[in-house]
Amino acid sequence: MTDDKDMFICRCEEVTLREIEQAIDEGFVTVTDIKRVTRAGMGLCQGRTCTKTIARIISQRTGKPLDEVLPKSYRSPVRPQKMQAVENEEFNDAKNS
Amino acid sequence: MQRILEHPILGPLPEEEKVTIYVDGEPVEARKGEMIAATLMATGKPYFRKTVKRHEPRSIFCGIGRCTDCVMTVNGIPNVRTCVTAVEDGMVIETQMGFGDWGGNDSK
Repeated sequence: MTDDKDMFICRCEEVTLREIEQAIDEGFVTVTDIKRVTRAGMGLCQGRTCTKTIARIISQRTGKPLDEVLPKSYRSPVRPQKMQAVENEEFNDAKNS
Repeated sequence: MQRILEHPILGPLPEEEKVTIYVDGEPVEARKGEMIAATLMATGKPYFRKTVKRHEPRSIFCGIGRCTDCVMTVNGIPNVRTCVTAVEDGMVIETQMGFGDWGGNDSK
């Protein structure tokens, strides 16, 4: 049986709403906590799609404001890059970014 | 799915040079400069990859290079976002299973 709770919140790591709500009920109440217990936001896209959704789910379920729930800063790289770009500043993968 | 030949605002689809790409071994005609995902959608390819955990089919989702749902193996390199990668003549595209395969000793 599938219902609304089986919808994917993190598409990359295939984490459902049910799993995220369970984690919140167990006391994990920031996006960073949820990431560490469910892997949501650790996939290929690095949370570009789900960070804000998860923040809202936590906020609605716990009543905390979004500021307290969201990560304090974004870590680089903001766009996916090949490791070559870290090694060599000249390397520009513009075709693929 | 097929291409929009008559767009209500953009008008008729202009003529464009054709290139050939190979999708899972089959030659497919593509419009030069378009994204790989556009070609595949026009040919009606049912899915681009299967997911790692549940082995479910995935295709285009965001279409702007953020979500990575449309990744495929392109010229032997897995996890290439097909919605933001332009076709090139002779490109080899493969449906990706899970994280894909780097092909042994390839150090790229």
